[in-house]
Amino acid sequence: MLLDAAAAPLTARPYYQNGDPGPLVAALATVPELLEVSLPFLTTVLGASSLDARTKEIVIVRTSALLHCVYCVNSHSVVALDSGLTAAEVVALRDEPRAALGGEREDALLGWVDAVAGGNGPVADAVAARFGRSFADHEVVELTLLVGATMMLNRFCTALELPTSPAVIDRLTAAGLR
Amino acid sequence: MSTPAAAVAAGVLPGRVWLYSNYHCNLTCTYCLTESGPGVQRRELTAERMLETARQAAELGFTALGVTGGEPFLVPDMPKTLAGLGAILPTVGLTNGTLFTGRRLAAVEVLAGTDVALQISLDSAVPAVNDEARGPDNFAKVVAAIPALIERGITVRIATTGESDNPDDLARLCELHRGLGVPDSDHVVRPVISRGRAVTADLGVDATVDDLPAELTITADGAFWSPFGPTVINGRLDTDLLLTRTTDPLRVPAQTLLGLVEGRPAGGDTTLNIR
Ligand code: SF4
Repeated sequence: MLLDAAAAPLTARPYYQNGDPGPLVAALATVPELLEVSLPFLTTVLGASSLDARTKEIVIVRTSALLHCVYCVNSHSVVALDSGLTAAEVVALRDEPRAALGGEREDALLGWVDAVAGGNGPVADAVAARFGRSFADHEVVELTLLVGATMMLNRFCTALELPTSPAVIDRLTAAGLR
Repeated sequence: MSTPAAAVAAGVLPGRVWLYSNYHCNLTCTYCLTESGPGVQRRELTAERMLETARQAAELGFTALGVTGGEPFLVPDMPKTLAGLGAILPTVGLTNGTLFTGRRLAAVEVLAGTDVALQISLDSAVPAVNDEARGPDNFAKVVAAIPALIERGITVRIATTGESDNPDDLARLCELHRGLGVPDSDHVVRPVISRGRAVTADLGVDATVDDLPAELTITADGAFWSPFGPTVINGRLDTDLLLTRTTDPLRVPAQTLLGLVEGRPAGGDTTLNIR
C-alpha cells in the first residue's frame, strides 16, 4: 500500500525528490489526485500559520492521544519538542487523565480540545465560554478545524497502521518519551 | 492551463485516448507489457464504460480512440463495442489476430466500412522467429487472418514489435505485409519496451515518461500517461505512470495529463519512436 520512489505516480514524484517522504505521502500517492489536494490541505491546517507552533502542537498531540493514534502521537511529540514544549509537557498531554499545563490560555484550549475530540454532541457552554475568553473568533475557527483535521489523520494513520519512522523513534528515545 | 480541446488542436496533447478493455489473453508473449495470459486478473472495462469514456473524450476534444489489452477479442461483443466506438471517434483496435475464425470472424464483419481499423501484431516474416516471441502457430494464424479480414472490408494495420539488427528482415516483412494486402502506411515498427514480462525476460529498452507520447489511457484501475503505463510485473500493476484513479468524469485525468504536459520542457518526446 505504501509506494516507494520507483512506483510514485507522476504528480506524486515531487514529494519524493528529497528522499523518503514518509508513510502518509507514500499511502496517499496510491490515489494521486487525493494526494494533490489533501496534502496541501493538511500542511496548511497543521503547519505554520498565524497561530504559534506551540499552541498548534498542543492541539495535535492532545487530539492524537485522545484518539490513540500511535503514529501521530509519536511524530508530533517530536514536532512538539521542536516547537518549544518540554518532554514533561508532552507527557502531560499524552497522559490520561491529562495534567494541566499551568497557564489559563493553554488550559482553556485543552478543555476545548478534550470536548471536541473526546466528546459527542455540543461542547458544554462553560468550556466554550472559557475558550472564547482566551482566543479570538478566527482562532477558534482555526483551532477547531485543526482538531478535526487531526482526528481525520488519526483515524487514517491508525486504520492503515502507518509505521513510525526510525528517526522519530530515535528522537523519542533520546528525549525519554518511549 | 488550457483546455484539452485547445491542447489537442494545437498538437500539445496527442488526440488519441486509449482504453484497456481487459488484461487476459490467449497468448503469453515473451515481451508482453501486461504479463497477459489465460489465467491473469481480467481488469475489464465494460462496454458501457468504454462507450461513455469515448463520448466524453469526443466532448473534451480528443480526436481518436485506441482499444488494447490483453486480447480485446476475448471479450464477448467486442466487435459491436468497437463499432460503437468507431461511430463516436476513429478507432484502432489492437489484436493478436489469432482468434478470427468461425463465429468470431463472422462477428467481426460488423466492422466493415466503419471507422475502425484492426492493428495486428506480426514480428517477422520468418515463422520461427515470430513464433519464438509470440507462441506456436502464431505466424500461420496471423497470415491467414489478415487477408480474411481484408476480404471482409475491414481495415488492417500491422504492428511489429522489436527491431532486427538485419535490415533484410524488415524488407522481407514488408514484402510479406504488402502481399497480404497491407500497405506500408499501415505498418508500424516499435521497439520492445522494458516493462512487464520484458523486464523478467531481460528484453527491450528502458523508456521514461519523456520517451512516451502523453496519450491518455483509461483502465479499470485508473488513468495513465500512455498505453505503456498500466503495465504489470509479478502480478502487480505499475503505478509510476498513473495519473488519477478517477476516470469518470474523463476531464479529471485529462486535466491532470494536460497539467503535466504543459509543465514538461519541450522536446524529448518520441526519442524511442514509440507510437
Ligand atoms: S503481447 Fe499482446 S498478444 Fe502477447 S500476451 Fe501480451 S496481450 Fe497477449
